[in-house]
Amino acid sequence: MIERMDLFRAVAAQRSDEIVVMTMTATLQWPLVSTHDLDFDFLAFGMGHASDFGMGLALARPERKTIVFKGDGGLLMSLGSLVTMGRYGPENLLVLLLENRTYEMTGGQPLAAGPDFTALARAAGVPGGGATGHGKVERMETLGDFETQLPRLLSEPGPHFIVLPVENHEPLPPVNHTDHASRVTRLRAALGLDGDVRRDV
Amino acid sequence: MTGASAATTVAEIERLGYTHALVIPDSESRALVEELAESAAVDVISPCREGESVAIAAGLWTGGAKPLLIIQNTGLMEAGDALRGCGIGPKIPLRMLVGWRGYTGAQLGKLPIDSAYPYTEPLLAAWGIPWWPLMSDNDLGVIAEMDARAAETSAPAAVLCGHRFRA
Repeated sequence: MIERMDLFRAVAAQRSDEIVVMTMTATLQWPLVSTHDLDFDFLAFGMGHASDFGMGLALARPERKTIVFKGDGGLLMSLGSLVTMGRYGPENLLVLLLENRTYEMTGGQPLAAGPDFTALARAAGVPGGGATGHGKVERMETLGDFETQLPRLLSEPGPHFIVLPVENHEPLPPVNHTDHASRVTRLRAALGLDGDVRRDV
Repeated sequence: MTGASAATTVAEIERLGYTHALVIPDSESRALVEELAESAAVDVISPCREGESVAIAAGLWTGGAKPLLIIQNTGLMEAGDALRGCGIGPKIPLRMLVGWRGYTGAQLGKLPIDSAYPYTEPLLAAWGIPWWPLMSDNDLGVIAEMDARAAETSAPAAVLCGHRFRA
């Protein structure tokens, strides 16, 4: 089991110009370790769609990796996303599934105990799949293993779907996200797309 | 009743600079999607459900691409949470061609009326999403109108396709 904040610190330490997308409780803790312009902490994707949004970003920005922190509860709300990733996922998409077996944001209600998320991703066609056939599915049980593998995950072609069993013993900051439009504007500005005023392509 | 020409509509989609089409198959758009698959300018992605399509499109736009959603009104209903979260709330100009299932039958007086038909307009109104009808080649200009409104408002806009596209 991996302590979630340690996982975030490990990613923040090795991350350079990758876009980092997250939702739910990850949006509360990731900002404690990173204030990068290419961070996209966003509560309002619609249930289960953080990695779908991340896939769109990765398709639009092939020159850099897009990392997505996704929860296992969110995955269950949009399982078809795995099939879509297996069919179209670009090489620069890295999905880190934070497996804590609860709907943590809403009070820790338990998830169904049965699903094997690694097996689900494999059955969905992610290994050897994706847009260019480089898809990979892996499960990493320890922080040390993840830290060792992360440089490879950030450099080799994917898409990657990595299952990480996590727990959290640190306090969660309060939720204070309300202005979702400004988050989009800020990320687009960081990508060199707009200034203060949005421009269409 | 048949609607606009698929080939002419694809030419308009290409002219407007769309880079990706997020498509869930439906009866109204079948010919259009088959024509789009031949386009060198537009990448066609077919997710599993419309909520996924909306979120992928939002990510594409945020990253600088110009996606077009091609879905049915039933899928629009399914995608409500994603549309709220990835379009209306963050003010992302999602452009949509929405197959208006039930419209043709209702115009022909067929009973029972498909329940997908009467809820479509009120649903779009409730979300504050402007829409234009596309019934034939004569209406093709509405795609550009919809496109421009989405750009001006940085918010979702839709075209309702009342009849099946013709090959």
